[in-house]
Amino acid sequence: MTRPRPLLPAVDRAAFAVAFATRLRQRGVAVGLTAAQDFVRALVAVPPLSRTALYWSARVTLVRRRPDLARFDEVFDAVFGEALLSVDPNARRNSGRSDPRGGGTRSPAPLDPYDVSGASADRGGLPWVTLPPVADAEHRDDVTLSVPQRLPSDLAGALDTPFEQLDAEQAQLLGRWLERGLREWPVRRSRRYAVRPGGPRVAIRETAARARRTGWDPVHLVRTGPVHRPRRVVVLCDVSRSMQAQAMAYLHLMRALALTTHAEVFAFATSLTRLTTTLGRRSAESALSEATERVADRFGGTRIAHCLSTLLASHHGGTVRGAVVLIGSDGWDGDPPERLAAVMARLRRRAHMVIWLNPRAASPGFVPRTTTMTAALPYVDVLLPADSFADLLRVPGEVARYARRG
Amino acid sequence: MSELFGDADEVRQRLDAVGHLVDEGTATALYLATVLDRPLLVEGEPGVGKTSLAKALAQALDTPLIRLQCYEGLTPGEALYEWNHQRQLLAIRLTEARGGRLADADVFTEEFLHDRPLLRAVRHTGPLPPVLLIDEIDRADDEFEALLFEFLGEWSITVPELGTFAAVRPPVVLLTSNRSRELHDALRRRCLYHWIDFPSPERTAQILHRSVPAANEPLIASATQFIGSVRRLDLDKAPGMAEAIDWVSALAALRVARLTRSDVVSTLSAVAKSPDDRMAITGALDELGCPEQARRP
Repeated sequence: MTRPRPLLPAVDRAAFAVAFATRLRQRGVAVGLTAAQDFVRALVAVPPLSRTALYWSARVTLVRRRPDLARFDEVFDAVFGEALLSVDPNARRNSGRSDPRGGGTRSPAPLDPYDVSGASADRGGLPWVTLPPVADAEHRDDVTLSVPQRLPSDLAGALDTPFEQLDAEQAQLLGRWLERGLREWPVRRSRRYAVRPGGPRVAIRETAARARRTGWDPVHLVRTGPVHRPRRVVVLCDVSRSMQAQAMAYLHLMRALALTTHAEVFAFATSLTRLTTTLGRRSAESALSEATERVADRFGGTRIAHCLSTLLASHHGGTVRGAVVLIGSDGWDGDPPERLAAVMARLRRRAHMVIWLNPRAASPGFVPRTTTMTAALPYVDVLLPADSFADLLRVPGEVARYARRG
Repeated sequence: MSELFGDADEVRQRLDAVGHLVDEGTATALYLATVLDRPLLVEGEPGVGKTSLAKALAQALDTPLIRLQCYEGLTPGEALYEWNHQRQLLAIRLTEARGGRLADADVFTEEFLHDRPLLRAVRHTGPLPPVLLIDEIDRADDEFEALLFEFLGEWSITVPELGTFAAVRPPVVLLTSNRSRELHDALRRRCLYHWIDFPSPERTAQILHRSVPAANEPLIASATQFIGSVRRLDLDKAPGMAEAIDWVSALAALRVARLTRSDVVSTLSAVAKSPDDRMAITGALDELGCPEQARRP
């Protein structure tokens, strides 16, 4: 009996592994160098005698997270499924008609109920409007206030006015109110411990110090617990022409966040501008006018993917790690959607949560159907409408609520 | 140095010999983990047998299983090592009582060191490396993940007073996660990854045969089919392998030969673990192949 010969007999394993990893990366599966190296070693350790054996070695070494599995299956089928099929004349005829990404003839990958990344607009995907489509849109004139508490009366009417109808003075008032409204925010546990009642541990040092007063008997146990810090916020605001009406209001939000939560704020249109120091000024007018001056490319086109990747590549990229990322944009993008999906995936991996504020999401019957939004949505935790200050004010509460639940 | 297993098929056979059935993917993953000396991150729905896989592996290799159960607030002292303060104090007192002199280094020796799971895995001496199970790593804090990096990368642990302990042979490390939070990329990069799916109906039947010898053929067949359709319902927690085994054991203990509606209802607590799930399953019993008329007289 002869030993079955492995597949891919005279193939350079390293070149094969790298090519396959590149193919996976093009489809949005994050494959690192370590993984590719593991794959090469696995090919040596387990000579691929069958397609299944090759499949398992590749899957165990190359894929590192569950949502990638479906896409891995697709790529594997495209690479090896069609290679086997091509002997069959019938299959060869069909493969001419397959789509350029090499997915036309194979059967669809098994539907994965947990895979949000594949969710398209018609399958629903994420709850892209987490708030109920409030009656605000229809009843804006006969203001029914949803946030009535502690609200100065001169602001009440302005709250639900869409941004484009606000005058500068009202915008300023609301901006100030926003600064005070941001109190609840997701926290992270820091490594630092501080004495606090009800903490999970006993603070030995403090307990011992108190024991001095009671003849060295530790009568009072002093408790200590980890200190919770608010998570860092990174705000990216679209200031292109399509966002002209909302840009000023978003600048107010960014200023409020920069002042209260040490946020990193950026504006983008065709390029990225960091506004953290500028917006941190004491006076709102000077801060905003300087910010308007600094953003040179206002009202040009939009390149969301390019700007996001600039941020991730810059030395401010580290600020995104573990942070709450707010992106304010209407989702009109000049860059190809695959690029946006790739950069959003990177952003999602780095950030604690990603929130997309879309002014259009407030309009009734809104469905995120632009290619940009559908590409970005799988990586967005919450998509919130942000058309009026009332919407903006709901953002912190919504974020805190989502963070508690998640 | 001899390899632990010859090839992936041998992994499958040896696990089979200790009563644990695995598919080719899991066998390949385990084999690669032992050959490439990399930790294996196992994920899957609760109850697909992640923890029992590690137990079976240890049994098949005939090496000790060292288990580190992770939880929120797990500290290095509980995972790596701790100094035995009481014994150190006693040693000091004793030396003082005898009028001897004690150098600093005398109380920081290995005899005063409490081994915790990770250090125990590193210091294990034996012909075969131990199996280290780091269970439910997603429950530990981010900081603990970072702590694991030195260990997973170098297979060594540094005790400042004593020096660095390095493992003679890297232990076989299995990490399990229930995906209650995302693990850090750096940890994922260091591990091989395997997602365990619910086994297919045939495999489920095989596994049930193995684990519940008291159950008969038709009961297992109908139970497998029932569990399969229950998983398709919209439940808070779909029943896993563990639940299936519990349920069939319960049915077998009640000496049920054929699955009937009243039996299903009376043993439902083994499958449905929340009141909502219970109601969902009870409501769908008719579609699940347990119609009303099948009730026993």
